[in-house]
Amino acid sequence: MIEAKGIVKSYRDGDAEVRVLDGLDLAMSDGELVAVVGPSGSGKSTLLHLLGGLDVDYRGEISVNGARLTGLPDRALSAFRGAHLGFVFQSFHLVPALSALENVLLPSFFASRPSAPEEAHRRAEEVLARVGLESKRDRLPARLSGGERQRVAIARALFGRPRVLLCDEPTGNLDARTGEEIIQLFQALHRDGLTVLVVTHEDRMSAAATRVLRLREGRLFPEAGGQA
Amino acid sequence: MTPGSLARLAALSLRRDRRGAAFSAFGVAIGVGALVFFVALGSGVDRVVREKVFPTDASLIDVVPPTLSLGSFLGGGALDQAAVDRLAELPEVAAVYRRMQVRVPAVSRYQGDFFGAPLRMGVEVLAVGVDPGLVQQDVQLGDFTDPGPDKPIPAVMASRLLEIYNKSFAPARRLPQLSRSMVVGFAFPVEFNRSYVAQVAPGPTTAAQAQVVGVSDRALLAGLTIPLETARRINRAAGVDADTYTGVALQAKDPSRVPELIDTVKRMGLQIDDQERRLSESTGAAVAVTTSALALLSILICALAAVNIAHALFAQVRARSKEIGIMRAVGASRADVQRLVLAESAVVGALGGLAGTLGAFCLALAMDALASAYLPPFPFKPESFFHFSPALLAGGVLLGLLAALAGAFLPSRHAAGMDPARALAG
Repeated sequence: MIEAKGIVKSYRDGDAEVRVLDGLDLAMSDGELVAVVGPSGSGKSTLLHLLGGLDVDYRGEISVNGARLTGLPDRALSAFRGAHLGFVFQSFHLVPALSALENVLLPSFFASRPSAPEEAHRRAEEVLARVGLESKRDRLPARLSGGERQRVAIARALFGRPRVLLCDEPTGNLDARTGEEIIQLFQALHRDGLTVLVVTHEDRMSAAATRVLRLREGRLFPEAGGQA
Repeated sequence: MTPGSLARLAALSLRRDRRGAAFSAFGVAIGVGALVFFVALGSGVDRVVREKVFPTDASLIDVVPPTLSLGSFLGGGALDQAAVDRLAELPEVAAVYRRMQVRVPAVSRYQGDFFGAPLRMGVEVLAVGVDPGLVQQDVQLGDFTDPGPDKPIPAVMASRLLEIYNKSFAPARRLPQLSRSMVVGFAFPVEFNRSYVAQVAPGPTTAAQAQVVGVSDRALLAGLTIPLETARRINRAAGVDADTYTGVALQAKDPSRVPELIDTVKRMGLQIDDQERRLSESTGAAVAVTTSALALLSILICALAAVNIAHALFAQVRARSKEIGIMRAVGASRADVQRLVLAESAVVGALGGLAGTLGAFCLALAMDALASAYLPPFPFKPESFFHFSPALLAGGVLLGLLAALAGAFLPSRHAAGMDPARALAG
């Protein structure tokens, strides 16, 4: 479960303070597929970074899977991210010099209790197979299509068997057909019991969610739509 | 992040930019290579100076009578047997070896076959008599004792004299090169109390044969080292002083007690002949100063390599900001990121250090080969001008590692301090 209470996040713009999130509250149950929608610059990505512990400069309280993230030291927060969270980004964010398999293996290097290299390889191949890319494991990202790159990114996010997937515009850089395939993949993961939070401004993505929230003036509001 | 994971990830990361890594390693290799080369050269030359040019025994000191003596009034004066006995009783002294110069001039006139070459030569000869124990370990033929009149006098020649003969005299006169074993047994005539230039004593001239029985570092450099009793007999026959000694070599029980022994001897009104030791030390100091200057230059090159690594890494960290953001997103802590950047640099530095050290070693081999082939022979010319100690070889690799780590320190902190959210959004 994800819980955020009274989140305030501000940026400095010269002398002025821009408040992006302003007393935001969020409560998500385990196994939900929630879409957060809103226009560009509304703070969707910022919210995702806060929930994932990538940005710790905020006021309020955040808990994920029962663990209070607010105030955790960097080492503990990083270990939590590695063990419980998976990230999927709009720009895929693959390491260009590493093969698909090596990109998927990346989280294994930072695990506090890493499995044996052979076991990590087996797990990486398993998640690559889960996203349908077992035959392209040795390809560099440059030799993969946009949809394939995003599948590799999803496989990387799934590598550590996370309970929560945080996705930032995952279909934003994909054509309609490929985007649809990725959405179906998220739905399948959700059916498998994964909690998925997607920030998006695409209707087809939000239509696949069980719940849709709109980010407006720094707060979340329920939005009609979704499948619930 | 475990050390094994760190090593695997560092290897993966380095694979991406082999050229950049090779360039950084090259800078380190140049600095380390120069340092190792110059230090090995200085160490090698210093070794030649200490072991061949001025071979000094750390536990042996030479005592001589004072140049200006107020005699027994101040307790100093001539080195007679009483003074020798007093020296032998000092608690720091393990052995006493007396020296008595043959106090009359001598000449050697040689005409005949000299190891297969005809030689006709007449030279003034210096001779000193010593207690046999001083050179006994280097005597290879017969006893080093006074043989009595009309028998060949056993003589020990200085190893440095043999070196000077082989590298200077023999090539100039087209005479054969001689090894230690060749000269042992060689006999030649000597006439004591005879000279081409100096005034002789009132006594008779004594003709004798001298026979080389050994080659020693402890022998008189330019002359003959003969048994003490032989020198005493020759002096007595010539009617000159045959009772006092020209010097005494004191063997200290422990080299660490030498300074204490020197002080005691000086308090007894005697002097220490430390000319060789001081020459050795001043030459060693000159070599050390030159080596230090060159080493400093090399360390400067290493520092420049570290700056180059820092510069390259700052650029690389900026270029890899997204990748660092990804690592943070998948579980890397700030410390993990810092360790990764440092580990990559450590590999570059260690490889650069290893390459530089190996390069210096190969260059030294090449220089030695060139010196052997093209430098004319000269006294004390070593087989190698370089000395590579295990500590120097290990130090070269370590210096490369440290230079790279020093260069990587600030960029690694910068990488660790990056805001992952901003890096991923940018």
